[in-house]
Amino acid sequence: MIQDTTVTESRFNSISKRLDWAAGPWARTNWVALGIAIVVALALPLVLAGFATGRFILHLMILFFTWGIVTQSWNLILGVGGIFSFAQVALFAIGGLASGVVSQQLGVSPFLSIWLAPIAATIAALVIGLPSLRLRGPYVVLLTLAFAELLRNFATQGPAWIAGGGYGLRYVPKLGFEEMWGTGMGRVAYYYVGLLLFMIATYVIWRIFHSPVGMSFRALRDSETYAISRGVDPFRFKLLLFALSAFFTGLAGGYLVHYNGAQSPAILNFPLTINLLAMVVLGGWGTFWGPILGTALLTVLPEVFRAVDVYRNLAMGLTLALIAVFAPQGLFPLIADGVRKLLQLFRKQQEE
Amino acid sequence: MEKLFQAIYGGILYGSIYGLMAIGLTLVWGALRMLNLAHGSLYVVGGYVAWTALNEWALPALPSFALGVIAAALVGLLIQVLLINRLLGRPSFFNAAMIATVGAAIVIESAMLLIYGPRVKQMAPVIPGHFKTLGVVIQYQGLVIIVAAAISLVLLSLFLRKSRYGLAIQAVSQQMDAARLMGIPTVLTFTIVMAISAGLAGLAGVLLSSVFYLAPTAGFNPMVKALVVTIFGGLGSVKGTIWAAYVIGLLEAFLQVYFGAGWALPGLFLFMMIMLIIRPTGLFGMGEVQRL
Amino acid sequence: MLKVTDLQAGYGGSVVLHSLSLQVGEGESVVVLGPNGHGKTTLLRAISGLIRPTSGVVEFDGQVISNQRASDVVAAGLIHIPQGDLPFPELTVMENLLMGAYRPEAWRERKRKLEQVFELFPVLAERPNQLARSLSGGERRMLALGRGLMSKAKLLMIDEPSLGLAPFLIEDVYQTIRNIRKTGLSILLVDENADHIEGLADRVYLLESGTLVKEGSVEVMLQDEALLAAYLG
Repeated sequence: MIQDTTVTESRFNSISKRLDWAAGPWARTNWVALGIAIVVALALPLVLAGFATGRFILHLMILFFTWGIVTQSWNLILGVGGIFSFAQVALFAIGGLASGVVSQQLGVSPFLSIWLAPIAATIAALVIGLPSLRLRGPYVVLLTLAFAELLRNFATQGPAWIAGGGYGLRYVPKLGFEEMWGTGMGRVAYYYVGLLLFMIATYVIWRIFHSPVGMSFRALRDSETYAISRGVDPFRFKLLLFALSAFFTGLAGGYLVHYNGAQSPAILNFPLTINLLAMVVLGGWGTFWGPILGTALLTVLPEVFRAVDVYRNLAMGLTLALIAVFAPQGLFPLIADGVRKLLQLFRKQQEE
Repeated sequence: MEKLFQAIYGGILYGSIYGLMAIGLTLVWGALRMLNLAHGSLYVVGGYVAWTALNEWALPALPSFALGVIAAALVGLLIQVLLINRLLGRPSFFNAAMIATVGAAIVIESAMLLIYGPRVKQMAPVIPGHFKTLGVVIQYQGLVIIVAAAISLVLLSLFLRKSRYGLAIQAVSQQMDAARLMGIPTVLTFTIVMAISAGLAGLAGVLLSSVFYLAPTAGFNPMVKALVVTIFGGLGSVKGTIWAAYVIGLLEAFLQVYFGAGWALPGLFLFMMIMLIIRPTGLFGMGEVQRL
Repeated sequence: MLKVTDLQAGYGGSVVLHSLSLQVGEGESVVVLGPNGHGKTTLLRAISGLIRPTSGVVEFDGQVISNQRASDVVAAGLIHIPQGDLPFPELTVMENLLMGAYRPEAWRERKRKLEQVFELFPVLAERPNQLARSLSGGERRMLALGRGLMSKAKLLMIDEPSLGLAPFLIEDVYQTIRNIRKTGLSILLVDENADHIEGLADRVYLLESGTLVKEGSVEVMLQDEALLAAYLG
């Protein structure tokens, strides 16, 4: 009907103009700020390694890198694809299990086995994705939920080489940096590896976000019929998103298991999933920088407020509910707006 | 032979509870097209309020239970009015509602944890004691649960089929625009559906807390199983859900009795995954399975 | 009875109806003809409150109803029967009709209304307990019309009653609408072509690109065949 396409086209145009703005200024100022950030990121650990608190900060950064990859990947399917999957942590765990078990049981060097992690996670994602991504919202939710619960069960009650009698994987060979170079520099090495993985993942996801298909998907996240009429095959693209998301998530899982030397089945309990969801939502689901911001906030803050555990949960729940309802674009666009206005004010003063 | 009767009794018992939990979920889906992930926490609200009424205010059993149910219904109503009603009409409604209800669930569970502490509580059963027949141990409370659930489900069905408001709820679930054009107030209907759904979850919590334990996160498991039931029965179909509840209950009981407790949950989930792959609409499902 | 002045309405950013004005007097039966995509359905939806007009005034029975909710518009007696297949599929014929009488004023009189509707629609009287989804296309259309009559309607707005029906059923539907007209109810009918509107319309409007371009009596309109052909192909 002529009516329908005119209407949806103009809706798309108005949304797409807003997206262009969102991408615009950051595409321009990106390189300077990014350059500075990279230099800082590279230099930082060398400064911090010397003292204990510094090493703790490095530990937090490593966690930030790990969860930052996972939340960005989750945002990819949730914010771009509009797919509400509860399987993110399960895919993370599969990555960790794959690399951990192979390196532990078969004596393979963790530097090699870690490459199994993303592969295993991607295969699992394809297995879940193929049947569920053709279906609408609630079915994906429940299928992924079921999968996650099944995995949790398996990880707790399964054979000893996986479940370790309920304690999970233990005594997994680490990457060995700390043994080679001592606690300080060893952790720095882990940091650099994590930074590298984080940068690769972020870059790939950035490219997808700003690709034409990615942007049209974001604008039409909830209008699949329009996407189809435009010649985009939503199913194949969703499958691709799902697989990519799993790839990086699994990789992060492999990384963490060789950093910790262990993986507990407790990570498959709901609290971690909620935590990660909060990171994505708080920062702004559907935006590019949102999950990164959210992960940074929620990785640091809990350490600060460690004592008040229950209140922290309460706050997290409130955050989720309130942001979803009142500020669905999350904190990042609000902050970006604020910064932009500050810059404008600054420039105006300069002119005067 | 004893095992068989044990499984049948267990199945009917579980089925009763799952029926109460699942009906609410399927009604909310039918009317609002959303999944209420705070459902489990409403179960817990019912249990805790009833417990407080019974143990701290020394009220008799029936009013305590009623208070529990009412409290759950009120909390559900709050969630609807404060959160969900503001999301209506947004294109991202489904995802946003999920996130909002997850948030609400955590807030409720944390609040319960703060108020009541982490130690598990148990409620005194309405009729204590048990008896043995056909080699099966049957607790009187179990019979209470089965009967109470059955009565509630029958009353609900009658309400939905015979009363003006019940028919209106069905109408809104089936064709929302046409319902609006008949003067049916849709937002009010949504709120009523949520309140009923929450009340039923609270009832399940009240009833089950004397057979199992009561803890802030005790509602999560029943909710997940209720989700399995709603999928199996077909999202949105009341009749399908009732059937599915007893079938799933029996399935779980059989798995438990013949294969051991550890197999019940994974078995159920595996079953659900297979169902979703083969026949997502379930037994009597209500459409919306648009394939891309 | 119904007076629409300078109505403007659309979806999202786009405007479908531009300064549209029309009137339906008490007891009148008015037809709006227009090709697909030019705003017929939008017009009815803007009047009945399913969508909000961006500007303009809609008055019904002396009251301004422009920004009221759909349920309030129904309460005023303005009933919109939408196009397509909208009976409640899992409810029976009887239950569908009863839902038409949902409002308290109508509910009180539902038994009497049911009798009236069954008289006008013998097809429905024959199968009151059949599920709506198992009815044929024509029967469902009758059900939709009958359901609209169950309320205390003063004016009935009907959207393309023949849409999607097999040709041999179409005349039945229009005959039924003529019968409804005889009961004195005011009617606003929107349709794509003028094939069946004889005996049905006191006045006809032509709708093009969201605004009304011509108005006249049926005879004048039908005589100007060239005009009709140009607009309706």
